[in-house]
Amino acid sequence: MPGMACFERASPALKEILLKLHRSEKPMELDHHLHEFGSVEYHIQSSASDQYKTYLSISTPLLSHGPQLSYELPNSAIEVVKGMYPDVVEIVEPAREGYQLTLRLDFAKIPHGKDSVKIITLISTVQAVILSSQLKELLRNVSLQDESQGNYKPIKLVYQPREPFFVIKQPAKLKAVYPMRFKENTDVIIATAFFQELMDVGSSEAWSKAPHCTWSPIPPPELRGELLEDLSTNGGFVTFDISSRHVQGKRLDKTVWSLLNFYAFVKHHVKCTRGFIQRRMRNRLESLVQVLHKEKLKEEEHIKKVKGIPLNISVTPLKSNIT
Amino acid sequence: MSKTDLSSVGRAEDCSRVKSPQLILRSLVRIRQVGNFFYPFCNEIHGNRYRILAKRLLKSNTTGLKAGATIACALLSSLSQIDTSLFFHSTMANPLRLYLTCIRNTLEAAMCLQNFPCQEVERHNKPEVELKTSPELLLNPVLICRNEAEKCLIETSINSLRISLKVKQADELENILTKKFLRFLSMRAEAFQVLRRKPVQGYDISFLITNYHCEEMQKQKLIDFIVQFMEDIDKEISELKLSVNTRGRLVATEFLKQFI
Repeated sequence: MPGMACFERASPALKEILLKLHRSEKPMELDHHLHEFGSVEYHIQSSASDQYKTYLSISTPLLSHGPQLSYELPNSAIEVVKGMYPDVVEIVEPAREGYQLTLRLDFAKIPHGKDSVKIITLISTVQAVILSSQLKELLRNVSLQDESQGNYKPIKLVYQPREPFFVIKQPAKLKAVYPMRFKENTDVIIATAFFQELMDVGSSEAWSKAPHCTWSPIPPPELRGELLEDLSTNGGFVTFDISSRHVQGKRLDKTVWSLLNFYAFVKHHVKCTRGFIQRRMRNRLESLVQVLHKEKLKEEEHIKKVKGIPLNISVTPLKSNIT
Repeated sequence: MSKTDLSSVGRAEDCSRVKSPQLILRSLVRIRQVGNFFYPFCNEIHGNRYRILAKRLLKSNTTGLKAGATIACALLSSLSQIDTSLFFHSTMANPLRLYLTCIRNTLEAAMCLQNFPCQEVERHNKPEVELKTSPELLLNPVLICRNEAEKCLIETSINSLRISLKVKQADELENILTKKFLRFLSMRAEAFQVLRRKPVQGYDISFLITNYHCEEMQKQKLIDFIVQFMEDIDKEISELKLSVNTRGRLVATEFLKQFI
């Protein structure tokens, strides 16, 4: 499913394959390549001779092609993967050619039952872990560079192909700017209504702790100097102001994942709203047609009433008594 | 009142100089043939006195019903240029109801259809309002406007009637919802029988009623359907807009929840 992200951190396809491998009673020979969102690639390899050892390799594109990131995995990602389930997951060094990370999975140490699903789900989140770590690393590097240079340049991030977004580090906050593009005019209008609601909700007192959100049809001044193709949109620009409280402790993970998936979130909302409109129109059609048909039926009944029911009178021939 | 051109209203020409709605109404009620049209207005606006007057006019018009409808159409087409607020001054509480009542009454007067074979092609029987080949078979079209964005065009001929509606679209969201919904209905026109697949230019949806429809379904029921359809469309668009915004608000709340 290219261009459409999944809100869950665990990859559903990878999870299904790993669960299948774990539950199979007979050893399975498997060499499977899996592509997700058109850019993420998994390679799952299992041999019949050593059924409990499975190799999982993953390759995911870099969020940014600037100097802030290297192709190698950030240390934080390696730490998180190591901390997953040390008995079950082991990092293979070096990773297989063409991949950023290779894991050896020991299915013999995964208990059967509900726990197995929990462990395999966690293993399937490996791509989300790498991406989140990349963004965290990027922000850390940017922070160091900017402090030394004193200027705050926007960083272009590409999580989904053709849907780049910008992150701008500022002294007290971080700005995430999303140029919104949609294929159809209907989508633009539904999304615009959503952005208005997002602004309203975000600016209400009850949500004062949530990041401040703004929508504007023109690019914000921070993006001055960026490429014209990145700034030409039909859905305007959505900006989130992320303050330090949103990236403290456990919130950091959630914030990073929400920022990465904002595009997918909006597109999913637009798609669901279109479906909702269609469903509602179909129901309404039925009720509108019923009005006309009800009138017709009433009329037919009336005609029947006027005409009367045909009588089935059997006429018995008179028997003459005359012999 | 922008225009008060009542020159074509027969004996009601003196109305153009009179500002009072009561006097205008009294003058118009003098025309016997349009008693049919004005009776409901009298009923709503000026109580018993005018209702009785209009009733009498109706009773005296039993012989020339069709002629009455024709003249009513002609009168209505000229009335469509007049600021209707003059008539509805005292009952502006529910403008939609008045708009719909006006359409209902016009339809009642105009829906007087009969079988009529095509004069141009032998053994053909086509809706004259669509072909428009013989001007003598067509009546003056009636345009009823609630405002610039909401209007209804009623075109009548001897064997068919075409009703075109323009539905209000206050903003972009209402615009796409209306377009989507009416297109959805037009694509399923066969379910309605009287719905036209393509609306008349400048309008959002059109109905075509022929004498066969009138024979198959009662005239009154057809009018009820059109009026209810108009009411339902307005209601549905408003509800849809509200639902889309409510959904957006809920989704926005869910998204922002992730940061807290």
